[in-house]
Amino acid sequence: MTAQTAPAPQHIAVSRWRRYRPDQQWEAYLFLLPSFIGFLVFVAIPVVASLALSFYDWNLLSPPEFVGFENYSQLLTNDRVFRKVLFNTFYFIVTIVPLQLAFGLLLAVALNQGLRGLEIYRLIYFMPVVTTIVAAALVFQWFFNRDFGILAAAIWEFGATTGLPIQPPDWLNDPDWAKPAVVILTLWKNSGFTMVIYLAALQGVPAELYDAAKVDGASGWQRFRFVTFPMVSPTTFFLMVIQMIGAFQLFSEAFVMTQGGPAQATLTIVYYIYQMAFEFQRMGRGAAVAWVLFIFIFIFTLVQTRLQRRWVHYETGGES
Amino acid sequence: MQNRQWQSSLSFKALIVLALTAMLLAACAPIAPADDGGMAAMDEKVTITWAMWGSPAEVATHQSVADAFMEENSDIAIEILAEPWGDYFTKIQTLWASGDSSVVPDVLFLSPIVNYASEGVLENLDPWIEASGYDVDDYWPSLLQYGMYEGSVYGLPRDIGLEVLYYNIDIFDEVGVPYPDDTWTWDDLKAVSELLTVVEDSGRVSRYALGMEGGKWLLWVMQKGGMALDDMRNPSRCALADPEAVEAVQFFRDMIDSNYFMPPANMSQAGGDAAVFQSGQVAMIIQNASRVSAFNSAGMNYDVSVIPIPADGQRASAAGGAAWVMSSLSDNKEEAWEFLSWLQSTDGGQRIYTASGEILPALQSTAKSDAFLNSGQPPTNRQAFITEGENARMGRIGYFVEYSEINGSFVNPGRDQILIGEVSVADGLNAICEQVDAFLADNGFPK
Repeated sequence: MTAQTAPAPQHIAVSRWRRYRPDQQWEAYLFLLPSFIGFLVFVAIPVVASLALSFYDWNLLSPPEFVGFENYSQLLTNDRVFRKVLFNTFYFIVTIVPLQLAFGLLLAVALNQGLRGLEIYRLIYFMPVVTTIVAAALVFQWFFNRDFGILAAAIWEFGATTGLPIQPPDWLNDPDWAKPAVVILTLWKNSGFTMVIYLAALQGVPAELYDAAKVDGASGWQRFRFVTFPMVSPTTFFLMVIQMIGAFQLFSEAFVMTQGGPAQATLTIVYYIYQMAFEFQRMGRGAAVAWVLFIFIFIFTLVQTRLQRRWVHYETGGES
Repeated sequence: MQNRQWQSSLSFKALIVLALTAMLLAACAPIAPADDGGMAAMDEKVTITWAMWGSPAEVATHQSVADAFMEENSDIAIEILAEPWGDYFTKIQTLWASGDSSVVPDVLFLSPIVNYASEGVLENLDPWIEASGYDVDDYWPSLLQYGMYEGSVYGLPRDIGLEVLYYNIDIFDEVGVPYPDDTWTWDDLKAVSELLTVVEDSGRVSRYALGMEGGKWLLWVMQKGGMALDDMRNPSRCALADPEAVEAVQFFRDMIDSNYFMPPANMSQAGGDAAVFQSGQVAMIIQNASRVSAFNSAGMNYDVSVIPIPADGQRASAAGGAAWVMSSLSDNKEEAWEFLSWLQSTDGGQRIYTASGEILPALQSTAKSDAFLNSGQPPTNRQAFITEGENARMGRIGYFVEYSEINGSFVNPGRDQILIGEVSVADGLNAICEQVDAFLADNGFPK
């Protein structure tokens, strides 16, 4: 072969199939197809179907009956249980989200002090996150039991030895105590997650910022307040959004430990969807609750995204 | 060049569309019978699909029932479809929603019957009962009501879930109190409970006299002559605020306040009535026959008695139990009825289930046969089951579709509040009735 003919043989030598053509990517789509079909069949179609379903009255057995907006108007006007459910869910959001962030940050800051055996502590605090929620909830159920639980036993014992009139609260049977019990379980379960994320963020804060603050005479608290806190604020924002959505969808904890009781004190929105659809066989009403939940989450996330400009500090790039 | 690329991207789209269409078609296409060879075979067997929920042990009993039937009837094959309780109802409803008679089981275990009968998915059994002369009088009084809808029988209850009083003989002996008997009233129960309860100095209760699941609380109301609703089929109002109900609930609220009666929620968190009874944390429980096999295999020293009633009251154990039904979609109704009626006969399924020790049979002739009365197993006083059975009452649940919502959304949460002591008995029952009455009005009751 001579030099003059070089360009043409190249074209011939590389097969049509192997040649990379940036504008032809169907092979990539082919590889995406399995997961795309999975997404379509198990997510996209059911989501659309549930929207349609929310306008019907359907108990699975008889044909669906179109009722327009009745499922929604019933929910908003004369469903007393739904009001209670909303209150409970907001209670869980305003308690669980801030506490979880606070605990996570506290643990992360503590572990970030150059402790020996950091990995061990990180493992211990992360363990609850990977523990099955059903097993955890059953253990906590026993833990909280007033007559035979270990927590109560300790308090009874304390009362007996000191002679003080101290009795353990009836955690899971008293509506005022059942909500805190669920909060405690959730904190135990999830704080390890926020801790790990915070720990990663803390380790990314440049040491020179602290050195500069020290030179300027900042106290320990001031270094936390004016260096650490702004530097991890993008992480705080991320965790806040994630944890809020998680709190909106609280279900397993209440389902296993309290069955939504006592007296509906721990009945959450998602639990109510389950009850409506699968216990009372009202699929349409359940779907309507699910869409109301979606709207709530959507609005709250939107508001948070807007508000973040006021307090979230991005070190590079600046724009959110 | 441009053109070729465009064509190729078009063919990619076509490929995707094709693939998706193929998938959809594959998903929708009816599954062809795997084997059509039966057409040619001389002795064609009819296959009846038989669905139920149950633990592995219970499914093993069901299988032995199916085997016994197939031994007697070589022309019918029984195929079992068993699912755990949690998934069973969703699965069955989904199968029915498909409307395909080849996938819907022919004979099924269901509860409550009225929810399904009202949707037309169950076969009306009246014509079959009449044609075959099947003896419906053998059922406990008012038990068959449980399987009825608008005056017709749609389901044949397998067992009767009536309750008796279980008591721990060792604890009674230790405390030195007499065993319960037919003459006991609530006052006797209360007096004995005081002796059986153990409260430590700290105030901790280490032994309660009595335990019962919260869901059974209407037993007390009915023993006193009350009801949950004025009519359990087509209610016009809630009856829980009536004086009988208030007095009955007040009695047990007092039992809880005196630490004689273990708060139901507390009991379920401690593992349920069987667990606290076996561990001796509770001396007596009120429960149906389902606990017998567990207590026997644990080797407990226990016996049963009829449940104490108020001095001016009546026995009111629950006449109800899950029932066998036939799908109205079944392609083999003749064979399905043959199996169903065999299943619900003393010589057939009832005897096998009774011998397994899991149930109190729905048929009086089975219950009064040696298979139940002289099984050689504890409890000794099996007559208690017979006495409660002869006086069993319907009405522990509502026989209409919306009842599960009334119960789940209003009655149970309200009951929790009363038994915990959040509200007074009268106020709590009034609050329940206010909500139930509003619900009934909103949903067009009475119909």
